[in-house]
Amino acid sequence: MRNADRVTAALLLAFSVAFSAGALKQYQWWGSGGPGSAFMPFWLGLVMALLALMMLFRSLKEKNPGAAWFPRGEGLRDISVVLGVTVAFVAFLNVLGMVIGTAIYLAVLIGYLGRHRWWVTLAIAAGAAGFNWLVFVHWLHVPFPEGKLWIF
Amino acid sequence: MDFLTHLGMGFGIALTPFNVMMAVAGVLVGILIGALPGVGPPSGVAMLLPLTFGMDPTSGIIMLAALYAGTMYGGTITAVLINTPGESASVVTCLDGYQMALQGRAGPALGIAAIGSFIAGTIGVVLLMLVSPLLAKWALSFGPPETFALMLLGLTTVTLLGGEDPLKGYISMMLGLMLAMVGYDIISGDARFGFGIIEMMDGIDFLPAAIGLFGLGEVLAGAEQKGANQLKTSLKLRDVLPSVQDFVRTRWSIARGTTMGFLVGMLPGAGPTVAAFLAYTVEKKVSDEPEKFGKGEIKGVAAPESANNAAATAAMVPMLTLGIPGSATTAIMLGGLMMWGLRPGPMLFEKNPQFVWGLIASQYIANILLLILSTLCIPLFVRAVRIPYSILMPLIVVFCVTGAYSLKNNLWDVGQMLVFGVIGYFMKKLGYSPAALVLALVLGPLAERALRQSLIISDAGIGILFMRPISGVLTVLALLAVAVPVVRAFLRK
Repeated sequence: MRNADRVTAALLLAFSVAFSAGALKQYQWWGSGGPGSAFMPFWLGLVMALLALMMLFRSLKEKNPGAAWFPRGEGLRDISVVLGVTVAFVAFLNVLGMVIGTAIYLAVLIGYLGRHRWWVTLAIAAGAAGFNWLVFVHWLHVPFPEGKLWIF
Repeated sequence: MDFLTHLGMGFGIALTPFNVMMAVAGVLVGILIGALPGVGPPSGVAMLLPLTFGMDPTSGIIMLAALYAGTMYGGTITAVLINTPGESASVVTCLDGYQMALQGRAGPALGIAAIGSFIAGTIGVVLLMLVSPLLAKWALSFGPPETFALMLLGLTTVTLLGGEDPLKGYISMMLGLMLAMVGYDIISGDARFGFGIIEMMDGIDFLPAAIGLFGLGEVLAGAEQKGANQLKTSLKLRDVLPSVQDFVRTRWSIARGTTMGFLVGMLPGAGPTVAAFLAYTVEKKVSDEPEKFGKGEIKGVAAPESANNAAATAAMVPMLTLGIPGSATTAIMLGGLMMWGLRPGPMLFEKNPQFVWGLIASQYIANILLLILSTLCIPLFVRAVRIPYSILMPLIVVFCVTGAYSLKNNLWDVGQMLVFGVIGYFMKKLGYSPAALVLALVLGPLAERALRQSLIISDAGIGILFMRPISGVLTVLALLAVAVPVVRAFLRK
């Protein structure tokens, strides 16, 4: 936690300085009769820089490295798989379409996380994808991405 | 009387079949969301908000408000049965609730929580109905400096009360404010921090951010633990009803919890969680037998459970009358109000009486529904909580993706949601406060406008905040909220 705080504080400090400087450079400080669009971002960046400095000092003074916070072993594997499969799901949404994409996503992830019987997994995946379609497309008229595999 | 006509009109709206259906749906989903560990009230409201876009705003808010009330009760189920609070307002319920469950009195614990929630919720609505119009009338005289000072107070108190580390709370809040600066500036028309990307110029929407931070972020955090706690018990309806004796013993606890819950809930920044903790502490103080607390004392369940429901109702007061949310959940509701094209604040009562009074009347109905559903359907909910995490979690992600997509029917928002999901995971792990970030993201543009308008009308620069009585008091309070943790940290050394 201590090392993470140090890194975060340094990153936030750099970010907030860039934020303030960028605002000053790009936008107007004072407009007609009042503060312009650079005013608020500049001060926000300044306050954030101050807070980041406080955290940096605090974490540099801290001797205790603190508890480990980053997942390890099985936890790290599970979270990477969940995140990876989810990103892939979103990335291929336009190709697979929402309904097929959802069904595949659910089947893969439920299959990976739990050891259920294969037909239970498939039934849940198909059922949920259909229900999702029913609520959003049929009732709420949200145009889902249809995908390029299927012609409905 | 003006007041009764309004209430009558409200019931006319709330009792239409569609709106009753929305309230039932809200309460049911709310109890479920509250009971599922990992999804709390803010994620529930954020995920269901997209469903309301096609509806009349009144029906939408009826569902969301019923949902909020439902989550307060739902969190109790897991707190009592498996010692895992479904949401943060039920953390304190674990202390005595779980002990009662170990002694075989899980039923009465849940039953008294349901009755306490019902009483507190109903009294809460009565107070909401009486206080809000007066407050709204008073707030009509507010100018930009008062509005800004109020927002400042809201932002600093939510940070003060939010987490264990005030510094990280303030950093979360500032990050939210900075993200709120992205997009078109309302006054000058400059597209700020857009980097030439058209979608960025529209700004960062709070909804994908909220769905990501709360929904996906929680799921990722849960993926690591694989839902360590799983419920193995089941309950029958017969077991849930508390005895008359239990009720008589706790009637004053419920009354105290309700009063405190409402007062705390009305303050910007202090939500149901703080109310529940406070109610428990007070209950222990006034008790003749404080040693029984923590060992299955039913008063230790009744008081905080009443307090959190009263506070959830009271949290609507500042949102509706001042346009200032007191918690992450009401911040998301406020964002919803703006998306429906309503302007939260004192004018809401004048311009959209059917919305406000429809909501108030529906809260009475929601509380009755909550009492009925929470007792009748307990066995059902207990079964639902037993859905394995491996099935539940992917379903939540799908709902997050669809919700973010349906906002504007584009994948950009889904991508934003994913990014915020990862941010939310790290924030949670490293002790930052996603709630403060979302609150700041919603309030950011409003606060900026109020501040700049204040400076335009001011002859004394920022001093205008201190020169007007109301804004002066509020600003001093906000500064105190910042100073308290600093002084406390200093004294500790």
